[in-house]
Amino acid sequence: MEEATQAFVFFWCAGLLFLTGSLLSFFSKGALQRKIGMGFVVVGLLSLLTTPWTASASPSSAFGHLLGSILGPSVLLGVGFYQIGFSGHVPVGRLSTSDRRIGVLMVVAGVVWFEAMHWWTLTPTYPDEVNRSWLIFWPTMLLFGFTLACGMYAVIGQIGDRRVREQRLMVVVALFLMALMVMGLTMDGPSLAKERFAAELLLAAADLFGVLVGAAMAVLFFAVVLYFYESTHVPVHLPAPTEEQLQHAERIIADNVLGGEEA
Amino acid sequence: MNTPKQSSGFVRTALWFTIPSLLLVLSVWWSTSASVESGVVRFVNAMLTSFTLVSFMLLVTLFAYGDARRRPIAPLAGMIFLVLAGVALTMFFLSQGDLLMEENASVRAQFLSNIVRFATTSAALVVATVVVGGTLLASLLNTPPRAIVFEEE
Repeated sequence: MEEATQAFVFFWCAGLLFLTGSLLSFFSKGALQRKIGMGFVVVGLLSLLTTPWTASASPSSAFGHLLGSILGPSVLLGVGFYQIGFSGHVPVGRLSTSDRRIGVLMVVAGVVWFEAMHWWTLTPTYPDEVNRSWLIFWPTMLLFGFTLACGMYAVIGQIGDRRVREQRLMVVVALFLMALMVMGLTMDGPSLAKERFAAELLLAAADLFGVLVGAAMAVLFFAVVLYFYESTHVPVHLPAPTEEQLQHAERIIADNVLGGEEA
Repeated sequence: MNTPKQSSGFVRTALWFTIPSLLLVLSVWWSTSASVESGVVRFVNAMLTSFTLVSFMLLVTLFAYGDARRRPIAPLAGMIFLVLAGVALTMFFLSQGDLLMEENASVRAQFLSNIVRFATTSAALVVATVVVGGTLLASLLNTPPRAIVFEEE
């Protein structure tokens, strides 16, 4: 198969399948449609993950390589937080204390794994240099995590009631992420120099801001389109009730509201 | 109707979302004296790509909306127009010489590279949300239920 065709089939069609499948499974009401959507997601994801082999000539396959590299620590973090959360004070389906310990271990392992990808030899390398997608992913993740933690600190203060512990936790997360960024900016990693990290962090900020502005504009236009469509549907005006209809209504109301004395 | 207290709370929250990151980025920029041009190019590319792709995602969500509205054509046509406008704008700006070109030889390569970068950024947003949201959720669900204290009559 030709290189461009390989990239089109195994990367772009797979990406479209993944996107369509996730939207279908999320928004569909029918169980069958949701199942089909999940099938699309699985097939699309598998195809994307295998692009380093199926479409190795395409530069886009670096994204598939990145997905494969971050899958392990991301799953550890997600499942770990789930285990910790649902072993707490939940009314039904509470997990055991050992599940919680396993969850804590999974989260710690996930964080250490991610750190080892920057500070040790686990840095995603594709094909023979640091994966370009990793250089975009890592600073963006740190910066957005920091932004989110700072914002959530304020949100909890605004809507929470006696949630000082959660606010402190958000401060800890924000400081941790900031410390990681400052370390990356001041110390060379084994495969990423501090100057390169600084440049990528600035580009990540531009990227993040651009993505948020673009998404906000799309949502705004979406709202405008729906507003105009809905505003064209003016309810049908009925003629005023006639005297006869009013008297009929009056009789029914009187029968039901006034009642009568019990015999 | 929003009270002044609610409005000030909203402003404070918005400031907490923006100011710390802005200060961090400005300090990095100031200490490295990096060129603004590459950042602007990246910002515009990211904005156009995000607009086009998010419009496309919203277009797909209209099928769910259509289930509740007897499948109207008008909003669907409106969103298709928006997606096409996004693609056309991106192509137009990319074809203006080196205005929005990064390390890519052709307009098509830059366009596809923008989409891959958007996907990478989205993956980063998801993982960051898992970290922050997971921490918060774990703490909230591990808080003991509060006893309701009734005042003595």
